[in-house]
Amino acid sequence: MSNNFYEFFCPVKVIAGRAALEHAPFELSVRGAGKVLLITDEGIKAAGLLQHVLTAFDSSEVDIATVYDQVPIDSSMSVIKEIANIYRQHQCDSMIAIGGGSVIDTSKAVNILVSEGGDDLLAYSGHGCLKHPLKPLFVVPTTAGTGSEVTSVAVIKDEDNERKVGFSSHFLFPDVAILDPRMTLSLPPHITAMTAMDALTHACEAAIGIAKNPISDAYAHGAIEKVSQNLMTVMDNPGDIDGRMELAQAATMAGIAFSNSMVGVVHSLGHSVGAICHLPHGMCMSIFLPYALEYNLEKCRQEIAKLLLPLVGAERFSQVPEPQRAEASIRVIREMRDQLYELCQLPRTLKETGKVQKDQFEAIATATLNDGSIIFNAKEVRFDDAMTLLETAWA
Amino acid sequence: MIKLAARFQVIYVGIMIWLIGRLLEAASKVDKMMQQEIVALPAAFAFSMGVLPRGPVFTVQKQVDGTLYCARRNDTIAADLAISFKHVKHAFLILSFQESTARSFANDRMLLDGDLNLAMIIVRCLDRMECLVLPKFIAMRAVKRYPSISLGQKLNLATRIYFQLLVGFFRRSHV
Repeated sequence: MSNNFYEFFCPVKVIAGRAALEHAPFELSVRGAGKVLLITDEGIKAAGLLQHVLTAFDSSEVDIATVYDQVPIDSSMSVIKEIANIYRQHQCDSMIAIGGGSVIDTSKAVNILVSEGGDDLLAYSGHGCLKHPLKPLFVVPTTAGTGSEVTSVAVIKDEDNERKVGFSSHFLFPDVAILDPRMTLSLPPHITAMTAMDALTHACEAAIGIAKNPISDAYAHGAIEKVSQNLMTVMDNPGDIDGRMELAQAATMAGIAFSNSMVGVVHSLGHSVGAICHLPHGMCMSIFLPYALEYNLEKCRQEIAKLLLPLVGAERFSQVPEPQRAEASIRVIREMRDQLYELCQLPRTLKETGKVQKDQFEAIATATLNDGSIIFNAKEVRFDDAMTLLETAWA
Repeated sequence: MIKLAARFQVIYVGIMIWLIGRLLEAASKVDKMMQQEIVALPAAFAFSMGVLPRGPVFTVQKQVDGTLYCARRNDTIAADLAISFKHVKHAFLILSFQESTARSFANDRMLLDGDLNLAMIIVRCLDRMECLVLPKFIAMRAVKRYPSISLGQKLNLATRIYFQLLVGFFRRSHV
């Protein structure tokens, strides 16, 4: 597991806390931006969250040129082109993405087109294919999980070829991430649980994968501590604004961690199950996390053992003998899932989802092996291993 | 001395890039597991691996019969997927088996232009080929997990791959 080389990069300015949204106009103006395109989805608009952002611009010299509020759950190339055209028609010079993973990834992809020109997004797919800085992009996450506000990656559906296309470049990092507690306060319990487990998975995988490094470890362990200390509190008291803020920060910290050290087999399986069985990403993460940690035990026992301290705190950690800490980490995560199942019926197994069939396993395992994140998993995953993991996660 | 070492690395990388493309072609004609991987690639899919900015590069393309063809000097095949090492030193680390393919990805040694999912298939083909043609103690440095393959099977496949390599070389020199 030793790695004598690493890169760490996160150029995103994080603005977090009370009245954070009201910093957006100033931050845009210092970047020379004056006409902003807001990108969001119908759910955000219906929940009244858009109004917080619009109000923040009321007394500023930065104009909201127009609002696009039709981003679908699974954004595609045609949506990107449509939004890019709106951006050009209104002669915008910057963007604010308000939403979860789909809205944020969509905005990053729009930024590629409006900055590089043209309509051929596929020309920029892959890793490291952008050569120039893009237009100012601010992100206001409304879930506490994806971490996309601090990552250099976007995934978009290519509807013509029925596949997901990945874009990865240091120029895809947003300029500013605004974590405002008002924006996650109304998240329903099951989404709070799913997205927090997504953040926990990002952090755990970042801390055990082959691209881990000391700096990403610090962010990952910090994120795990925040999730473990605040998730159940927020589930019990959804109006706990401080707890919400802690979860939002955990998601961002986990995002910084995995953007630099990447993720592993939990995500490979999750992406595949998500694509084939149409399960929410956070739910998949929650299901597979303990099984994937068990699978990786032989390769990274020490790293998994280290997760116990942020998971349970110093007192409980010190009571567990060193050789048992890796198993204890996995047990704690299982206990968290049991609690979440009781609180909001977040499924713990594929069977409990009611949307996965065993005859889909082969297709899922094949897709898992072709998922880009698989290469960063500590232990090499083969077809039989993926099938075994799916069987283990079944019930 | 430093310049001499750097010169050696350039020559070594050039030879290895030349060799790997041809070994992939040869292995694709012999090994069933690699053929199963190639099936999943789109028709006429072409993949290149090279060194930035103007270093050596090879391109292989999927053929109608499901094998790979390593492009010759005068071929003009546009790659659907291009893996480019950022520096010849990075290429040297992986091609001298000091870093595995996965570690090289993790260390951000290369640019990847194209579909990441298809890149995973190519990585498995490269790993498989290395496991077959290299002695186990070297191949174990190049891959995350060495496959369970008997010595007899390995020698059989390796002999046939090297034979195909010679056949390919002979054919090329007579075209």
